[in-house]
Amino acid sequence: MITRRSAATLLAGTALGAALGLPRGAMAADSKVIIIGINLPITGSDAAGAKRMMNGALLGIQQANDANELPGYTLKPLVLNDATATAGQYDPAQAATNARKFVSNEKVLAAIGPEMSGSAKAMAPILSEGNVAMITPSATNPDLTNPQFAAQYMPSGKPTFFRTVTTDAFQGPNMANFYAETLGVKDVYVLDDSGAYGVGLADAFQKQAEAKGLKILGRDRLDPTASDYSAVLTKIKSLSATSLYYGGVSGAGVKLVKQAYEIVPTIKKGGGDGMYTPDITTGAGFPAAEGWYVTNASPHMTEDPKIANWLNEYTSAFNGSPDDYAITAYDGVLVILAALKKVIAEGKQPTRENVRAAIAGSTVDTLQGAVSFDANGDVKQRVVSVFQIVHNPSFPLDDAIHQFKYIGVAPQS
Amino acid sequence: MDTTTAPPDAKPGHENTNALHTVQAPPAKWQWLTAPFDKPAVRTGAIALLAVLAVLFPVITGDQANIDAAGNAAAYAALALGLNIVVGFCGLLDLGYAAFFAIGAYAYGILTSWQITPDWSGFWVPFAALGLVHKVVQNDHALVHFTVSFWLMLPISGVISAFFGILFGAPTLRLRGDYLAIVTLGFGEIVPIVARNWTGLTNGAAGLNGIASPTVFSYKFGIDATPYYYVGIGVVAFLIFASTRLRESRIGRAWMAIRDDEIAAGAMGINLTRFKLLAFGLGAAFAGMAGTFYVAKLQTATPDMFGFPVSIMILVMVVLGGLGSVWGVVLGAVLLQLLQSWFLGDLTQWVNAFGDAIHNNYLSSIDLTQASELIFGIILVLMMLYRREGLIPANRRQRALSFEQQHATVQTHVRAEDVTLSQIGGEGYIHAPGAVPMLEINDLTVRFGGLVALNKVNITVPAGSVVAVIGPNGSGKSTLFNTITGLVRAGEGSILFQGNEILGLRSDQILKTGIARTFQNIRLFTTMTVAENIMVGLHARLRAGPFSAVFRSPKKLTEEAAGRDWVLEIAKIFGNRLMPRLGQTVVGLSYANRRRVEISRALASKPKLLLLDEPTAGMNTSESLELAEQIKGLHALGLTVLIIEHKLDVVTRIADKVIVLDHGEKLTEGLPEEVRRNEQVLEAYLGRGAAAHA
Amino acid sequence: MSPFDLLLQQFVNGLSLGAMYALLALGFTIVYGIMELINFSHFNVFMIGSFVAMGVLSLFGLSGQTVLLHGFPLVGVLVVALVVTMVACGMLGVGIERLALRPLRGVQGPMAMITTIGVSYVLSNAVMLTMGANTKNFPNPIPSVALHIGTAQITVFQFIIWALSAVLMGGLYLFVQRSKLGKAMRATAQDPDAALMMGVDVNRVIMTAFFLGSALAGAAGFIFGLYYNFTNFGIGFTAGLRAFTAAVLGGIGNIPGAMIGGLLIGLIEAMAGQYIGAKWADVIIFSLLVLVLVCRPAGLLGRLAPTKS
Repeated sequence: MITRRSAATLLAGTALGAALGLPRGAMAADSKVIIIGINLPITGSDAAGAKRMMNGALLGIQQANDANELPGYTLKPLVLNDATATAGQYDPAQAATNARKFVSNEKVLAAIGPEMSGSAKAMAPILSEGNVAMITPSATNPDLTNPQFAAQYMPSGKPTFFRTVTTDAFQGPNMANFYAETLGVKDVYVLDDSGAYGVGLADAFQKQAEAKGLKILGRDRLDPTASDYSAVLTKIKSLSATSLYYGGVSGAGVKLVKQAYEIVPTIKKGGGDGMYTPDITTGAGFPAAEGWYVTNASPHMTEDPKIANWLNEYTSAFNGSPDDYAITAYDGVLVILAALKKVIAEGKQPTRENVRAAIAGSTVDTLQGAVSFDANGDVKQRVVSVFQIVHNPSFPLDDAIHQFKYIGVAPQS
Repeated sequence: MDTTTAPPDAKPGHENTNALHTVQAPPAKWQWLTAPFDKPAVRTGAIALLAVLAVLFPVITGDQANIDAAGNAAAYAALALGLNIVVGFCGLLDLGYAAFFAIGAYAYGILTSWQITPDWSGFWVPFAALGLVHKVVQNDHALVHFTVSFWLMLPISGVISAFFGILFGAPTLRLRGDYLAIVTLGFGEIVPIVARNWTGLTNGAAGLNGIASPTVFSYKFGIDATPYYYVGIGVVAFLIFASTRLRESRIGRAWMAIRDDEIAAGAMGINLTRFKLLAFGLGAAFAGMAGTFYVAKLQTATPDMFGFPVSIMILVMVVLGGLGSVWGVVLGAVLLQLLQSWFLGDLTQWVNAFGDAIHNNYLSSIDLTQASELIFGIILVLMMLYRREGLIPANRRQRALSFEQQHATVQTHVRAEDVTLSQIGGEGYIHAPGAVPMLEINDLTVRFGGLVALNKVNITVPAGSVVAVIGPNGSGKSTLFNTITGLVRAGEGSILFQGNEILGLRSDQILKTGIARTFQNIRLFTTMTVAENIMVGLHARLRAGPFSAVFRSPKKLTEEAAGRDWVLEIAKIFGNRLMPRLGQTVVGLSYANRRRVEISRALASKPKLLLLDEPTAGMNTSESLELAEQIKGLHALGLTVLIIEHKLDVVTRIADKVIVLDHGEKLTEGLPEEVRRNEQVLEAYLGRGAAAHA
Repeated sequence: MSPFDLLLQQFVNGLSLGAMYALLALGFTIVYGIMELINFSHFNVFMIGSFVAMGVLSLFGLSGQTVLLHGFPLVGVLVVALVVTMVACGMLGVGIERLALRPLRGVQGPMAMITTIGVSYVLSNAVMLTMGANTKNFPNPIPSVALHIGTAQITVFQFIIWALSAVLMGGLYLFVQRSKLGKAMRATAQDPDAALMMGVDVNRVIMTAFFLGSALAGAAGFIFGLYYNFTNFGIGFTAGLRAFTAAVLGGIGNIPGAMIGGLLIGLIEAMAGQYIGAKWADVIIFSLLVLVLVCRPAGLLGRLAPTKS
């Protein structure tokens, strides 16, 4: 049953965007429409995170329209779902189809997405040839921007695939440095969640941890759809491990946090930005989540009042809290918006090529700080901040900003 | 009690020409009866139209995204066609079919990408000469880059997948439906896990990078959806062609026979192991080709693309389209795929536009994208409730019998002399009649757990005789038949057929030696027509393999044509009881006619020994005697018959020798008249008191 | 931890997991035993059970990690929640049967199974759309007291899981063996036509099977929530698949078989996690299943019907 209230909640996202974006009413009638594509797996098993990203992007588009950031133009989102019932989750083939939908709709000048690197690998060559810039909030597989595969993912020779998130190649190693230098642990057991992101992150962590002289007690892989990780945690306990690193998102993470608290309560535990989400503080809760270290691939910005404002706006618009990827998705929109502004300010036509070039050359002030891109489309700012989950009872559990305590910058390699 | 009646053909005067003659020269209006195998011409036109539309589709839509979605639909259509062979034709419920899709995909992906780059050595020189690999120098280090052509990999992937299909199929052969389903499901789970964990081979969860796109001469497909679409529909067209040809061949009939009744299929000479594995293998080959096509188009492959939901979706496509229906499953696949990737994706935009048009705020702002799987589920349930036989049902609509056909004169003057068959009996059909017994059973003992079903039974069936086995219920008659025909393989002792031991052979091997049977409780292939049922009996005498079935070698065509003639010839024995119904499925037949079909099916295998298990059960007296007369006719041709029969008048009329079984032991044997007077027999049948009064 | 303690600990882990699989497998098995139907909607009845339980508990003020009740009131609330969940899920199961499956009764082929797949999509997506896609924190009101054997520990809750599962399974077994309706169920399972002729109300039997199976799934959902302290719209799939495997391993249609299958799979999963690697757990489970079925084509306790001709 879909109740009226929940239906309203689920529709809120596009309803807000659509109310302002659809060519209806006096203002819209004489303004030109620019479409920002959004491609995310908003059904199936990736839906929770994908919806936060979608909301983050929609909020950015809505705010731009509200503030009339682009006089004479109206931004409109085109949300496509790259999850299918066939795959039960994100489906690279559907992502490829959606990429072609963006390319064949000439109003689409840039896009946000996808969530998964698997989809990104299918979309990148198509968007490259269609010259549509796409900014991913969360696809962190290094291959995508690796010059070795440029012929595959950048056939046009110009970067069209950008990230507002750093790749696994930085977060994992910097956290390994943090384990070795700051936490001073001597050994670690490494887990991942079977996903491309988690495996890549854990691999990168493990490699650097070995280089730093940490003893790798073991490496295993959690099935994100399974519920019981007690066996592997008992094994970690039996090895008398002093620390645990988990590469993965909150899907398996929530369960891991809960069960790790039962079985290995005292060892040091940490993860990547996939764990920097209110899902952990609400889903696993306290005291289970207390003490986990997580990273975020951006400088710490909480003191900035705009974060608090943004948080309020997001929470009131979508009746739920954002996570890190909602921020990177929002930042993606900010980057596109800045590029559009620049193109229009320079008196040029807002075309795909102009927008793409503007994105590639831009430095944009976003929620995560200044964002600019290297020649491959990767974000240049590679500061990895470390947070620790510490319960702050004066704020709600899903307030990620206050339940995750800033520790410092992870040591660079 | 005397059940002997006057023979029905005692009436003088034969101007009432019996139906056999009518059938031998059918009147023009009955002509279609003799052609139950022909295809309606309308279909050819429809297919041509469809082909034209499919070819023109990219031009009509002009949208790369739609062409791409259609290309994906083609891949799923190929998958559905493959699974249709396994589930639809052969009836093996496979819940892990995506495993073969994955194997085909990774086979191509690994052999055309940068995933594996061994060090260059002289070993690779011949491969390089063939263009399968290239030498690449990176950082002063010579490496091998696999560059196998897409066109070569398409069939190779099929072969690789077929190998795994057979490998995974082999352990499941003994399993019944749902156990089979769970084992296939297990393999379906294992393959993606291996792909995920064997990082060196597959690049694990991150997915393969840089899978090569196909090239034609120097034209590279790249990311243009159109050429992929044409390759896709080409592959699907070929697979439709192959599926149709297979279904209409000896192989298709064997699969459908297995699906309808495994035991009867085995008893009709179908090697269950071989044909099940053939279904698994061919089904997997289709999936392997689909996988290669799919990743060539996508240029990446991740383990997440081949999970359990994919297997389920392909199964849904097959069932929704019509289980066993070639065109149906294609339609099911295309509709479901386009529903997801195209219609449901664009539905929001359509509904919003509609809302704008009618100034309905709710409709113009609703977002259905997130509800797409919900809508999908609802559509699925509704389809199953209201159109469960599928979009295009596999069972052809049957032409109703005309008034004349329903009331066609039932033959009343059946005479043994009228039974003629060109390929049974005659000179040399049974070598040296009389010298070696047709069947010689020595000390046959069969135990089921502690129960002794047959105890040291000795039976001799002389060549060219009719031997009847009688006995009360539970005396072991059917067990005897099941042991002779290999359905029960627990016997001790020996069963010699024409001097050769057959105890321990499988039922299909036994049929090939020349023993065919009918079943007490009639085991026909219920979804098949009368003609097809009889044709299955001929299975062991035909040779066509999958290749010649698809490409219709001249030899195969002659073989099939001869087979059809043979089926007609056999059906004619029963005259217009079966002839008008050859194109009907057997479910609509009367009980007596089903028995006749079963006998015809057994005869089709050109047996030397025919085992009939209560052939007249459920027939009225005149029908029973008509059949007795026909059995006599078969006997007269030279066929040896072993018959279980309760109706003593039938037994007396046809049997040369009667064997009486009771409690698994042979009570007595002798001429019918002797046995009728035997006290032990009367006792066994009627109890001690009755025997005393007789 | 000594190797023995470790083995014991993993045994305890596996047994708790297995008890849950067994409860879920029972639902598959009774429905299968009577209708020969692989019921994929069962997965998501289980998932909905955890949501219903969460709703009931929150009515009593139990939500998140707050523990407001102790002693008898807590036990009372838990019992009420369990009963409500089981009844609600039972009714859901009956509803699914009535609306989606009864019209397909007697239809040959996998059509009914496909319908349950459709129902499964509807259930999980309806929950996703109404409750949201994110993971929910399930209340955790049971004090975490543990019994220590060496360095291995068994929590009170693990005892509760075993006891509750044993009571429910035992109750089901007795019901099927002893009660009149239970006998009617067994009769229908063996020969529906003969049962019908003997005056068995087959509709009632099938509805009972769905009610019981779904109620057990609901109970499993409730236990799942309490044990793992979370739920979301996607929990049904993997647990359901394991439970399905368990039912087949034990011999589908066989109640003790489902219990043994469930416990075995739980144990294998735990031992695989310890000694081989969690990432291979599924491979091991399914390989074992293939091995067992190759040797015993009807599962551990199942019996093949004798071949008739």
